[in-house]
Amino acid sequence: MKKTILIALSAAALFTSSMVTTASADTLDDVVDRGVLRCGVVLDFPPIGYRDANNEPAGFDVEYCADLAAALEVEHEILPLTWSERLPVIVTGRADVVFGGTSDSLARARTVGFSIPYAIYYAQGVVGVDTGIETFEDMRGKRVAAAVGTVPEQEWLKIAAEWGEEDNYQGYQSENEVFLAVAQGKADIGITTNTTVLPITQQYDNIVAGPRMPWTTDYTSVVGKREDVTWLNYLNLFVTHQVRSGRYQELWGTYVGGDAPELRIPGVMY
Amino acid sequence: MEPTISFFSGLQISDLWYLMEAAWRTVLISALSITIGTVLGVVFGWILYEGRWAAALTLGPLLDVFRSVPLIIQLVLFYNFAPIIGLNLDPFFSGVVILGIYCASLVANVARGGMEAVSRPMRRAARSLGMSYWQDLRYIVLPIGGRAVFPSWVGVALGVMKDSALVSVLGYIELLKASQILITRTQEPLLILTIAGAFYFALSYPISRYAASIEKRWTS
Amino acid sequence: MKNLPDLLEAGLTTLQIAVLSMVIGIVIGLALALIRMHMRGPAKWFASTWVELARNTPALFQLFFFGFGLGAIGVHLTPYTIVLAALSFNCAGYLAENFRGGFQAIPDTQLRAARSLGMTGWQAYSRIIIPQVFRIVYHPLTNQMVWAVLMSSLGMLVGFRELSGETQALASRTYRIFEYFAVTAVIYYAIVKFILGASRLLAARLFKY
Repeated sequence: MKKTILIALSAAALFTSSMVTTASADTLDDVVDRGVLRCGVVLDFPPIGYRDANNEPAGFDVEYCADLAAALEVEHEILPLTWSERLPVIVTGRADVVFGGTSDSLARARTVGFSIPYAIYYAQGVVGVDTGIETFEDMRGKRVAAAVGTVPEQEWLKIAAEWGEEDNYQGYQSENEVFLAVAQGKADIGITTNTTVLPITQQYDNIVAGPRMPWTTDYTSVVGKREDVTWLNYLNLFVTHQVRSGRYQELWGTYVGGDAPELRIPGVMY
Repeated sequence: MEPTISFFSGLQISDLWYLMEAAWRTVLISALSITIGTVLGVVFGWILYEGRWAAALTLGPLLDVFRSVPLIIQLVLFYNFAPIIGLNLDPFFSGVVILGIYCASLVANVARGGMEAVSRPMRRAARSLGMSYWQDLRYIVLPIGGRAVFPSWVGVALGVMKDSALVSVLGYIELLKASQILITRTQEPLLILTIAGAFYFALSYPISRYAASIEKRWTS
Repeated sequence: MKNLPDLLEAGLTTLQIAVLSMVIGIVIGLALALIRMHMRGPAKWFASTWVELARNTPALFQLFFFGFGLGAIGVHLTPYTIVLAALSFNCAGYLAENFRGGFQAIPDTQLRAARSLGMTGWQAYSRIIIPQVFRIVYHPLTNQMVWAVLMSSLGMLVGFRELSGETQALASRTYRIFEYFAVTAVIYYAIVKFILGASRLLAARLFKY
């Protein structure tokens, strides 16, 4: 009896330890062995990530995930994320990669690894039609909303601290709630991304495009495990291939429209 | 922009079907958690009842923690803790684990109350009739104590069903998460929330009425 | 953990909103219970609907409804009021049932005896019946207070910076989710223990005889 229990226990221990080791191995190998690529994507970020009329994930980021899976010859799986989940999901290993308009800040790079930029955005406001906000300076004394855990939130809070207007800020779980807040008059301006402004202003009669935010352009990167340099290298290569094959322009044209921004940073070698 | 792609679309009949599927997932995760939680909870309750001070010092405080920390914190903690020890659980299983333990911590108290509701003389009589300890539990304590605490148990079960809405923060698409998704797509919060609320009400109200009527019948 | 003071301060916000919603919940719950017992027609229907809705839908749903549901028809509440309104709505519903049970436990003869001593209906209720009811529902009341604290954690999902919301904000800035939420769990535990302890002390003083 005692012996059986001991054997069972050691078998259980072996089983758990094998699970632990697979979790820490090479992501590239893991994905190929598993046959599935798990992509974290933010789905409240139209037209980059959203749900179509059948409630299925769609958008620029979703296509990028599918393309990466196709390059690896594996299936892909979309893991819908909120903004503040983008980094934890990589740290805990629940996703192999995150396509989610993630700005490559140095602070974040201490936690996760970034590829070279795969899309460029800038922050812009959407404002209630009656608020009269036209320039950035008009935002003084107005109620500002953004999604929790995003760069716009952090950048705005720095400015708000200078202006002494932190109390006028309200964070929301999703960008959609930010837009609803502006549409319902709970906030005067919601800070979002330039690509989102057009679909939102088309959707709501009482929301118009607002001023561009004064902070720098958002260079957004694909996110992977920080320690896994081979995987990050592979992601870099993937990003350049998307551009070289014309797929980048094709998808940008489909979802955002117009010419895709050049993924080059003037005056510096990336 | 290409006219063929729309990022927002109105509510369609198929969306009602989508909500129904999500309601089914709410039922599924609730039923599983309540079953696991009840079985575990009865065992815990029995340990608390029989274990005296040993249980009061170990299991009691442990279960107390699950009752004293908000469920949403438990869910977030467990979901982020599991991968650290190498368990890659999806939102559904994380939800079942935490809801199950949470349910067990509540049922344990209910079960202990049920056992305490059976009077000592009754149990001594059962034993003196030649019943074994387990026969006594099965044929005396279960029917009498079970009856006494059945309404409380229904209350706990319905509570867990409603609390399953919190698993939406992990991304499991149950009823409330599905309605959030539809709100994002269609921008009709009031209508969709009303439908979701009606679903919850339809799940919970009949059961609570049924339990109330049974309670009335048993006490009269 | 240099942000501990922030978390403790947010813990006070949690306690504050829980107490406030309990006070509102007790007043409304008492009214709902009395209406359901003594009135007919639309008033009774309204009270019953309130109670059943509060008890048969998830608290998170109620929170969303007070947030974006009401926003859609032009009622704008700040996150603080959303949480306060939803919690009070919920507490009132649950407490109404507790109060009803409490009232039913007190024999009718007491009311008649009080009236025959020359008390008005209001006097009889406020001096004889309600003090006894409070004694009966004291324990459920304490439980509901604990629930209110636990439920207020949902404020995090509508952007209210109580304990959970503050934790989420700090965690998303530092990416140390597990550590922050673990500390927060301890703080919640302490708050709940504090309430239970205070309630026990109070009971010992209130119900001496």
